[in-house]
Amino acid sequence: MTTAKTDEVVKESPAATPSDQRERDRQRRRLARKRGGGWWPYLFLAPWFVGLFGLTIYPMLDSLYLSFTDFDLLTPEKWVGTANYERMFTDDPVFWDSVHATLLYVVVSVPLKLGLALAVAMLLNRDIKGIGLYRAAFYLPSLLGGAVAIAIVWRQVFGGDGLFNDFLSWFGIKGQDWISSPDTALYTLILLAVWQFGTPMVIFLAGLKQLPKDVYEAAEIDGASPVTRFFKITLPLLTPIVFFNVVLQIIDAFKTFTPAFVISNGSGGPLNSTMLYSLYLYKKGFTDLQMGYASALAWVLFLVIAGFTAVNFIASRYWVHYDD
Amino acid sequence: MGHEISRRSIFRAASGITVATALGTTLSACGGGTGAGSSNSKLTMTWWGSDQRHAAYKKALATFQQDNPKIKIQETYQGYDGYFDKFNTNVAGGSAPDLMQMDTGLVAQYARKGVLAPIDEYVGKDLDLTGFSKTLLASGTVDGKLYGVPSGIGVNQLTVNRSGLEALGLKLPEREWNWNDLKAIAQEVYKKSGGKTYGVDDGGGSTLQCFEIFAREKGQQFFSDDGKKLGFTPDTLQEWWEFWAEMRKTNASPPAAITSAAHNDLTKNAVVIGKALFTFDSGVYGAGGSITDAQLDFLPTPQGNWSGAREGNFVNGGVLLSATKTSKRIADSVKIISFFAQNDTAIKDMQLLRGIPPTEKARNLIAAGLNATDKLNMASADYISQRVAKATNVLPNPVPPPQGADQIWDLLFQSNLAVAFGKATITSQSGKFFDQAAGILSA
Repeated sequence: MTTAKTDEVVKESPAATPSDQRERDRQRRRLARKRGGGWWPYLFLAPWFVGLFGLTIYPMLDSLYLSFTDFDLLTPEKWVGTANYERMFTDDPVFWDSVHATLLYVVVSVPLKLGLALAVAMLLNRDIKGIGLYRAAFYLPSLLGGAVAIAIVWRQVFGGDGLFNDFLSWFGIKGQDWISSPDTALYTLILLAVWQFGTPMVIFLAGLKQLPKDVYEAAEIDGASPVTRFFKITLPLLTPIVFFNVVLQIIDAFKTFTPAFVISNGSGGPLNSTMLYSLYLYKKGFTDLQMGYASALAWVLFLVIAGFTAVNFIASRYWVHYDD
Repeated sequence: MGHEISRRSIFRAASGITVATALGTTLSACGGGTGAGSSNSKLTMTWWGSDQRHAAYKKALATFQQDNPKIKIQETYQGYDGYFDKFNTNVAGGSAPDLMQMDTGLVAQYARKGVLAPIDEYVGKDLDLTGFSKTLLASGTVDGKLYGVPSGIGVNQLTVNRSGLEALGLKLPEREWNWNDLKAIAQEVYKKSGGKTYGVDDGGGSTLQCFEIFAREKGQQFFSDDGKKLGFTPDTLQEWWEFWAEMRKTNASPPAAITSAAHNDLTKNAVVIGKALFTFDSGVYGAGGSITDAQLDFLPTPQGNWSGAREGNFVNGGVLLSATKTSKRIADSVKIISFFAQNDTAIKDMQLLRGIPPTEKARNLIAAGLNATDKLNMASADYISQRVAKATNVLPNPVPPPQGADQIWDLLFQSNLAVAFGKATITSQSGKFFDQAAGILSA
């Protein structure tokens, strides 16, 4: 390395006059800086550290502490031990409503969403004219996904006099108000989630592009049908991607908030049928002034998500095939 | 937590933000207005309302600033949704506004938690309350101290689609009417309209506007005097729900899906969508004017039609203006409160946008400029407040709602809905309601 060489040269240089000495010191300092010493890299990292400690780690620890207190945001908190956690599991029917709604939401929406994403990704993995346009069109709903505006549109579409019922009326079916019936409201949310399949689709598409062409050619020569090729080649080779999407989508689904908030006008109704966990947590903390209880709810959510993710990773050993 | 923003409180606010961002959400405080946050030179004032109310406030405040150039005001405003969520977060983060519009339903909670400043010492000096009645000021008084000045008289009235009623050949009921009259005309509406229109929106889960009045007619209150218990009996609640079950059965009231859709959404109100002609929701003709083209009229909540029934209607304070305890500018805030209470220009600017003005003088000032519907609205409110003032068998005004009241109101709504959707019987749901309400009030 050139720097090391120069260093040696400087060290071995004979006959040092005072000015040479100063020159050498300067050079040494410059070299030291070049090797990554000094304080200034930390300056550039500082905003990230401030963010990490100030906005993530400290608040997380604080919320862990608050989960053992009675804190109403307005007056100082009072230590109550595990009372919040006990209340959750023994004395809060709405908590169980929200757990029920959230699990149903996760269990139904994630497989549907991933199935659709994979199906569309396979359709879009072809050389046809204007494929870029199609890909963009299918991805678009995901870009708009988290937006409040889309949730508002959803409300209009599935309301009693909405587009969906107009559509049904073409076939002579008399619709109902899907959003305001406790039996169907959650399914409109699930449909919204499934419709936003763009992100896993793009990841599937990237995965499909990586699959080796020669394997398919060989299979085709051997007379394997498209269905066989899908189940014997595509799906097994794609399992790492499927796994990645499953993990991310489950975590995402657990945290869903905006559509439930907007579609139910913040109420989680009708009859708590759309009271997703995050919405309940938000209501408790910011509306009902029970930030201690909300913090406990948040930690339970954290542990549940961590648990699901761990189970996913353990189970993955049995069905995910890595190329080696 | 002094007026300075402590490090801890900043982190607290950050905690809130983290919860929000960790959820991957967009909890942006929506609505217009300039940025929040307190600065030393400006007095921060915040309110919720419609666009018309925003414009009126701004116009009035401009006049105030002309007269008081030294008091600079930073205005923040938005819709009701999220207003108190944001306020709670601001208080926790040490950046509460100096002056705020307060809800009569929440004033006790915030006063008792030490968020609001008592302003009794300013009365008669910077705070001119000439013409305010004692009952009216009670709505801003908690534990004997004044925490907010009411902006107007609030009464509970039914809003009636008068043109729709006349089109069916029906007449507007008399003001002295009872629950049977309501049932009769509502059933009549359904018949005469050939099943197209129900009579009155489902009031079974509607709290302030009707159930509380029904309970008062029976000599009971919604909350006990100390605010630690419910003030009515399971019998009263069951009788109430049976009335509304009968209303739904006879199509006097719409089915559950319509009621459910209108929850927190005025645009889906049964009168607004043309599915009923009577509504308990005052917002249909409220602070923002009318949101339907129908010609409207107003009626008091029906009276009890059983022996020993009392006057159930009452008068409260519309919205309040309150100063916050951590503010360094309480004296200035009080000047603004006084300005809105007494200044002619301000009164004219605000019209009925914050309720029927609280003083005789103010009502006379705006009377000439009112439109026809505003006049009907004011006449009906006048009628109710006079009737209440004259009544000998009326209970004292309801106690300020305790903490958790809004959760209980929501529980009542959802419980009535559970019955209406056929998911629970009246008796079982009433049991659940009392259980859960007790849990909320003792929390």
